[in-house]
Amino acid sequence: MLEFIGPASGLLFTIENILWINIGVFIGSVFAAIPGLTVILCVILFLPFTYQMTAIPGMMFLLGIYCAGGYGGSVSAILINTPGTPHAAATMLDGHPLSKQGRTKAALKIALYASTFGGVFSALMLLFLGPQVARVAAQLGTAEYFMVCLFGLTIIAGVSGKSMIKGIISACIGLLLSCVGTDPMTGYDRLTFGIGRLYMGLDLAVCLIGLFALVEILAKAELKPDALHLDTKKMEDNGVITKEEYKRIVRPVLLSSLIGSLVGIIPGTGASEASWFSYNTAKNMSKHPEEFGHGSVEGIAAAESANNAVTGATLIPLLTLGIPGDGTVAIMLSALMINGLNPGLSLFTTDGDIMYAIMLGLILVNLFMLLQGRFLTRLFAKVVSIPQEILTPIIVIFCFAGAYSVNKNYFDVAVALVFAIIAWVLRKLDMPAVPILLGMVLGNMTETNFRRALLISNGNPSIFFSSIYCIIFLVLIVVAVGTIVRGKLNERKAAQTAGKEH
Amino acid sequence: MKQLIDRVDARLDAWGEALKGKEFRFPSDLAAGIVFALVGIAMLLAMPSQITVSGGDVVDGRAFPTLLMTVMLIACAALIGKELVKLARKQPITWKTVNLLVEVKALVILGILLGTYFLSKYTGMFVIGAVFCALGFLVFFRCRKWSYYAITLGLAVGIWCAFRFGLGVSF
Repeated sequence: MLEFIGPASGLLFTIENILWINIGVFIGSVFAAIPGLTVILCVILFLPFTYQMTAIPGMMFLLGIYCAGGYGGSVSAILINTPGTPHAAATMLDGHPLSKQGRTKAALKIALYASTFGGVFSALMLLFLGPQVARVAAQLGTAEYFMVCLFGLTIIAGVSGKSMIKGIISACIGLLLSCVGTDPMTGYDRLTFGIGRLYMGLDLAVCLIGLFALVEILAKAELKPDALHLDTKKMEDNGVITKEEYKRIVRPVLLSSLIGSLVGIIPGTGASEASWFSYNTAKNMSKHPEEFGHGSVEGIAAAESANNAVTGATLIPLLTLGIPGDGTVAIMLSALMINGLNPGLSLFTTDGDIMYAIMLGLILVNLFMLLQGRFLTRLFAKVVSIPQEILTPIIVIFCFAGAYSVNKNYFDVAVALVFAIIAWVLRKLDMPAVPILLGMVLGNMTETNFRRALLISNGNPSIFFSSIYCIIFLVLIVVAVGTIVRGKLNERKAAQTAGKEH
Repeated sequence: MKQLIDRVDARLDAWGEALKGKEFRFPSDLAAGIVFALVGIAMLLAMPSQITVSGGDVVDGRAFPTLLMTVMLIACAALIGKELVKLARKQPITWKTVNLLVEVKALVILGILLGTYFLSKYTGMFVIGAVFCALGFLVFFRCRKWSYYAITLGLAVGIWCAFRFGLGVSF
């Protein structure tokens, strides 16, 4: 590892990279601060910009958006009691009450410090754990890789929506969409339905613009454009955090950072799960549990450190196995692959200098997030009030320009529109969209390894149960399915009990 | 002009009120199961014409998509079966309520998106589509603040300039 740190630092510390980190952090904070706009939407919209860049500045820009998005959501959660992103909901429980007590600046500062700590902790986890996991991953053969993909898809399908069966159907659709285009092994066209342009396959970024961005525009039909008016006078307090409060937040921040990192490593889980789990853990371990929900500094610190601790950890399965920890980093994979960087051990050896620059850059991203948070929070807060009338067409124009610029043709814009309509129908049927995304990302890897393994075994499926790694992943799949099904049944029982009580 | 806008607004409000209360509901899980079962069957039927294979391959290009559609059909059968069992036992099934006003509004938004696409494509000038999109949404939201029109149109042209001259995207 040490042999890469020097060259990596040289590659990282350039004016261009620092600039892109700061632009990314700024955009991510602004987007996340606006309720209704998500980090995944932001990354999708700005992904086409990275196609013109090399790997390091491109990834720094996207990581800036990703990490700052973790913090930005807390701004509106604290100020207007509306989480800017879904994972800031736990922060809102204590952040807004503390703000109502006249301590808005203090609440924002705690959220910022906790986010930064969680982010740096997670980046260090990636730095030290990533290469070790990659070494294990290098020992996996085609059958084992197929089982890893299956494991990732199973968890994603299980936790992405209310119904595991619907998650499986969505994942199948995503995997099928990845089959469109040239067969990776024979070169024949597949599922192109006579449309010539489809022989290259469906571009992930274009599909995502439709699935996640344009569908949000269609969803504007469901609400009235109520302006969120923010009184910035709320931020006139001195923002002092007492020594006693600092002492109280140390333990929840440390524990939540660890929880967030562990949750982040598991594919399919994300910042929301981490922040709620950490919030509840902090509440159970606190000497002042009665303060939770009424402006507890521990509550804010736990939720925020956990949701930012996910950021580096989600990159561990992505960079080592090619399995994205969550939907947002799945999109980042294409930014890496377009520069010829493929997940696996080679990323940490042959391309070690670039990879270590990106991992060190993640620490830098968090430090710049701290700086921007300290000096620009007032500006982020004002952005919350941008009216929908202005925001909506701007997002659409970005989507169309982004879809066009991927391959410089209007066919891709039409594809994005078709996917928006499909996503709208999926919403009506309560089908989760994230498994489709993960299916599309993992499709090629899953199929190639499935077919190669069967070719090696001359069509004998017992190859998928032949090695210790296969057995381990099979057991993990069974345990995961069992846990998810049990969790869903418990949820249903709790809902039925609550229904009866009312 | 103001009177005309007021009259149009009043007419739209009246239509909105009429549509607001019109709702229909459908069993979402059952519908999802049936829809995707049909998709799966259609894909399986289309597979021979859509995927060319050479004989003698141990695993050909159809194997993986066929496996996927089989898994999907099993999942659909489970979803439909679960709902039918609930119906037979007279247990509550999952319903989805659809509001007609929301769907009409979504169609209008889709119209704006399609208008933007066709204008950009057939004029060859993305900026024309962008301006149409900005105006379309401002009208859709019934915005009456002229400053919003100026800001949004300025931003629309600005984004086109950023892509055209900053990123070198020729459109």
